[in-house]
Amino acid sequence: MELNLARVDYLQVGITSEKSMRLLPPSGKKEQTNKIAIADHNGVLQVFGMKNGEAQHVFKTLPGPKILRLELGGPTGGIKDRIFITSGSLVKGFSKRGKQFLDFNTNLTESIQHLYVEAADLFLCGNYVYNHYRDCQDQNYYLCGDTINDVLCLPLDPTQPVTPVLACQDRVIRVLHDSTLLYEVEVPGPPQTLCLYGNNGGEDGDEIVYGTTDGKLGLVQTSSEAPHYRWEVPNEKRNGGVLCIDNYDITSDGILDLLVGRDDGLVEIYGYDESDEPALRASQQCSESITSICGGVVSTPGYDEVVCSTYAGWVLALTTEPQHKSLGAGTQAQVDQSVHNKIGNLKKEIEEMQKRVLNEREHYQVTAQNKKAISAVPHFNINHKFVLNQEDASYTLSLEVQMAIDNVLLQSDVPIDLLDVEKNSAVVSFSACNPEEGNFLLATYRCQANTTRLELKIRSIEGQYGTLQAYVTPRLQPKTCQVVKYRIRPLSLHQRSHTSDDNRPYNTLRIVGNFSLAEMHSWVWFCLPELPERTPAGDSVQFQFVSTFLDTLLECSYKRGEAVFRSDNISTISILKDVLTKEGTRKGIRMDITYEVDEDSVAHTLNLIHPKLEYQLLLAKKVQLIDALKELQIHETDSSFMSPEYKQILEDADKLQTEFKKQPCHLERLYGMITDLYIDKFKFKGQNVKGRVPMLLEVLDDYDLNNLVDFFQASV
Amino acid sequence: MLVPVFTLKLSHKINPRMVAIGHYDGKHPCLTCATTAGKVFIHNPHSRGTRGGRMEASMDSDLNLLNINQAVSCVTAGQMNPETKNDVLLVGTQTNVLAYDVENNSDLFYKDTPDGANAVVVGNLGSIENPVAIIGGNCSLQGYDLEGTDTYWTVTGDNVCSLCLVDFNGDNQNELVVGSEDFDIRVFREDEIISEMTETEAITSLCGMQDSRFGYALANGTVGVYDKSSRYWRIKSKNHAISIHAYDLDSDGVSELITGWSNGKIDARSDRSGEVIFKDNFAQAVAGIVEGDYRMDGTDLLICCSVDGEVRGYQPAGQEMKGNLMDTNVEQETIRELSQRKQNLLLELKNYEENQKAANMDRPSGLGELDQQQMGIIPANTQLQTTLNVNMGSESQRPHVELFIATTNETIIQAVLIFAEGIFDGESHVVHPPTATLSSSVRVPIVPPKDVPVDLHIKAFVGNKNSSQFHVFELTRQLPRFSMYSLADPKAEIPLPKSNVTLTLNERINRVVMWVNQTFLLHEDIVSEGPLNLTFLSLRGSGPLCFSMEQSGQMTIRTDDMDLAGDVIQALATFLNIEDLQSIAEFPEDMETLRQVLVKVDEFHSVRQKLTAEMADHSNLIRSLVVRAEDARLMSNMKHMRQGYMELYNLNRDLINGYKIRCNNHDELLRCLKSVNQAIQRAGRLRIGKYKTQVINSCRTAMRSNNVSLLFKIMKTGSS
Repeated sequence: MELNLARVDYLQVGITSEKSMRLLPPSGKKEQTNKIAIADHNGVLQVFGMKNGEAQHVFKTLPGPKILRLELGGPTGGIKDRIFITSGSLVKGFSKRGKQFLDFNTNLTESIQHLYVEAADLFLCGNYVYNHYRDCQDQNYYLCGDTINDVLCLPLDPTQPVTPVLACQDRVIRVLHDSTLLYEVEVPGPPQTLCLYGNNGGEDGDEIVYGTTDGKLGLVQTSSEAPHYRWEVPNEKRNGGVLCIDNYDITSDGILDLLVGRDDGLVEIYGYDESDEPALRASQQCSESITSICGGVVSTPGYDEVVCSTYAGWVLALTTEPQHKSLGAGTQAQVDQSVHNKIGNLKKEIEEMQKRVLNEREHYQVTAQNKKAISAVPHFNINHKFVLNQEDASYTLSLEVQMAIDNVLLQSDVPIDLLDVEKNSAVVSFSACNPEEGNFLLATYRCQANTTRLELKIRSIEGQYGTLQAYVTPRLQPKTCQVVKYRIRPLSLHQRSHTSDDNRPYNTLRIVGNFSLAEMHSWVWFCLPELPERTPAGDSVQFQFVSTFLDTLLECSYKRGEAVFRSDNISTISILKDVLTKEGTRKGIRMDITYEVDEDSVAHTLNLIHPKLEYQLLLAKKVQLIDALKELQIHETDSSFMSPEYKQILEDADKLQTEFKKQPCHLERLYGMITDLYIDKFKFKGQNVKGRVPMLLEVLDDYDLNNLVDFFQASV
Repeated sequence: MLVPVFTLKLSHKINPRMVAIGHYDGKHPCLTCATTAGKVFIHNPHSRGTRGGRMEASMDSDLNLLNINQAVSCVTAGQMNPETKNDVLLVGTQTNVLAYDVENNSDLFYKDTPDGANAVVVGNLGSIENPVAIIGGNCSLQGYDLEGTDTYWTVTGDNVCSLCLVDFNGDNQNELVVGSEDFDIRVFREDEIISEMTETEAITSLCGMQDSRFGYALANGTVGVYDKSSRYWRIKSKNHAISIHAYDLDSDGVSELITGWSNGKIDARSDRSGEVIFKDNFAQAVAGIVEGDYRMDGTDLLICCSVDGEVRGYQPAGQEMKGNLMDTNVEQETIRELSQRKQNLLLELKNYEENQKAANMDRPSGLGELDQQQMGIIPANTQLQTTLNVNMGSESQRPHVELFIATTNETIIQAVLIFAEGIFDGESHVVHPPTATLSSSVRVPIVPPKDVPVDLHIKAFVGNKNSSQFHVFELTRQLPRFSMYSLADPKAEIPLPKSNVTLTLNERINRVVMWVNQTFLLHEDIVSEGPLNLTFLSLRGSGPLCFSMEQSGQMTIRTDDMDLAGDVIQALATFLNIEDLQSIAEFPEDMETLRQVLVKVDEFHSVRQKLTAEMADHSNLIRSLVVRAEDARLMSNMKHMRQGYMELYNLNRDLINGYKIRCNNHDELLRCLKSVNQAIQRAGRLRIGKYKTQVINSCRTAMRSNNVSLLFKIMKTGSS
């Protein structure tokens, strides 16, 4: 079925956090439409319905501290129409009419980031801490090893214990039982949001849909002993990270569809096919990140809508209701009239405000004469993200501001490459820079009008570390800019994993010295991404990583006074050794460093690179041939004389070219890795082989795995 | 939503910017595009039998391929014969131009164009009676009529990239608008330049719109519209505009500017405001946009082609669409826009409120010292001062123009962004001092590559050390035209340049002094009583530049740089509103170089002839060798056959070598011819108005008659 969705804007509130808008169920039989409950960073909670295209408020609270979450609750089995919001360490409850019935101060030290309500149970999470309250009485507590991104609880069943589920940044969904961990579910990316499958957790009430920061979706069944993976939607088109999920039957086929909102403004609607696997039915691109998504009926009874809230506070709906009515001249005119009134009112409001603003501007100018006056402009909020993409081993930096962005200045003190992103329309200009002044990259992005979101792609080189700074200037008077900083870590292309493989040849780096666990953790944190900043609990810690580029592994285990790192890639060990030595010396801590190099590991790594390199070389060769073959095709009417290989190339020409375009400089990067490997191998033997690199490149030019391995084995 | 009325998939690649439409039989439009391997294809769906009928489903047989056997550089079609309605196809390559009668399948003329053919346009120019085909090459413009006689010739500043015919001054005659690689758009009324606009990049496309308006596109992704010499609007994209065309898509009686982009996007923009009224996407880069009645139903369609051969035709929107071509809900858009504005105003108000609140507290916003720094609170009376200076440089640094930026108190400048076009590699230059040396002032060296006035849009981030938020100070400074020249000490002994230009101005010295004060970067304004004597030193190392002027109005400009002399005279004339000006030029060194170049040109010509003769010999030899070898094969005389083919192989190698030499020779020749054209252009720039045209035309005549001494005389005195 073709789904035609038209965008309608309802109103704009302040900045919204994820999951801070919900639809209230219709009350009574007369009312057929849902009302919208939304809370924003200005601290305003409001409930409104739509009538004739105008927002009609049920209630609106006064501004206060920013509200991070909004959830609905109700008695078990009853209608969920009570509104719960959280700000700071407070949880407040409102009835749908706006009467406050709960004001609960949890006295938690961390401010509450996530909230889930199920009957009389409150599930609250800070950055690392999970708390469970029943009737406002403290029940359970759990300290998580990494940042918690979302929380929910499986539907209560009197025969089953309460099962809360945490989505954690270290690519794991944690299933709890009371205050203890039941088990961990490893998922393909850092889970950002959780949702009960079909709003009730499926048949057994234990199925959970998750969305990850790198844009993947999946369904897991959390039975009492072990997880069961049902399906997974990869992110092949490299869309944004998933921020919110809902289930609603928008296609009216009797099956709940999956609604997904992403941080690049994409709204997707998935239906399910015969085998219950999700299939994309429709999608719509908005310009701002979608923070909440809900299905329902808001403006006109009988027409389903997908209601979304965006970061900048827009509440909008994608409605199935046709926007160009052909019912007759009368209705059309009526609709026009109400819209015109709305526009007229807005214009009047703006005019008045402009006068006030002009006044204030003048006032501001006048104060500038005063010698004692100061100019303090409040911070504006930047919604920013810096994530590693597993597919092409690059980072995506996204910046989003409530106002239109004027320009962005990027500065880096390490060599990095900026890649072109199709989606962004800003005009980039690279400025000449002087590495001696600590500038390896100076680039300005001048944005087109009305750009509130900018996405950039960055490629880093392992071993080179430093800081990337982005200065964001929005179009707002008085003009200010804010700087956001990101670390480019020495092992920037590694990501957390939870699997190990004992069959690989490992190189080991062992450090013994007079350091505490916290100190060692801070150094490791400095070196690797996706680690929590705070020191994990316990006497010893173990983390696993996998290189997104080469698939080599790294295992870190350390405790007070001793740290052991194992990797099958000698370059990884070499980088760690350099950085840790430097950090240790800086702190004045004596460290004894020993290492064991497994001779087989080099050949093993080369074998890992081999298929990638071979594929890239073949691809490059094929792409080179395309133009020439096409010319031949034009000259000769009949191309049957060509070899099957060439015919294949001609057939796949477009595919090959897009593939090639997708991974610019992939080959160069692989060559760089191999060169590093070569230098590092001999570095551990105490030999400097930089002089032999041109010879290595010669071997690579005429690539053959065995020759390359021989070259590596040959002594200098 | 406006949708294409037809879509075709031609199985040939289309070279960008080489698309035309022609009515070769006087009736049926045919899409004509250059494709790979030196071919041009003509798409003719309206074959005789089905005249006027609908487009046929099978397209393959509708294509005719034309072999040019050389890389095509430009294609166009147009009426050249006033007696018939048949269009003539014109194909330019780097060495030749071909006028072709498609209907009769015959050449009309085939001419050598030693200056290459980068762009071609057909139409009426000025008062020239018959339509001309004008070919833009390396610094030259050449016009041919139907017989191939050249009826028009002039030179321009650099390689021509784009041409169009527009009635620029409303005299009911077409003027020629020329875009070239030196970023200039020049307008020629026949052979006289009547207007010159400087842009920020090479001008890749031009198209005439209504009346005196024309659209342009630059190599850096800018498109815009000029009306006469003033720019209506321009926009810049990160993609490149491949093709532009004027077409009235929304049927409001005014043409829109249709742009085809390198990322496959097509958009239509209002000619007044540049607002997008329609857009569509191709999978591949757009190759060209033309218009023609392709369905033979009486309406001209907009036809867009992509590089992989996809063709789409769009019909002008009907009345019922009310100019709303995109499927947008106008009311919703307006509401959204208004709400956004309201939100912005609210936020601005909030800024002032918070500022006020902070000011009323002893500890701003109740924050500690650290927070105060983080918020980037600065004294309200902080100001940003800028000065422009000439810095003669040191051993480690080249001489440059120095922009000095400083705050009036202890606040620091975290970074400075300068947006200016044409003087940096990109559109911006950033100064981001290392954290250790952050201070309240910043010095920015600027080296403008050309003598043009530039607006510097400066944005400075001012705050405290360790702030995470900074105030942005925005201001604009103008860099004067001749900023790369510093006033020399009058007492210093500076050897006078050997070359000079002498001219007579009917102006007081004061006015010239005023001009100097405006266009040069000086510490303090010059006040001059009596005869003027000024010496400037070029920071680019091209020696001194001296002005001297007598009370009588006789002025001498001394410099060894002929280009600079031309720039000075042109700028001065614009300032003083001089319409015609003659001058005497004395440039011995330039003349000597020119003489050598001319000698070289002769050499290259003779080498070329020799090589051509050799090649002809070789090809005869090849023919006989092939015959002999094949005879031997038929006779089963393998030994002879092998011998024959060995010889053939060697001969082939010789031919390839010969070809390489020819290529090099040709490149060199091109280079030399370009410099000759440039020399003529330079000589022209030393004069204004009719004298300029006169110099260029006389030089051309002298060149034709190969009279070198006359050429030099003209360049020197401005007349024959």
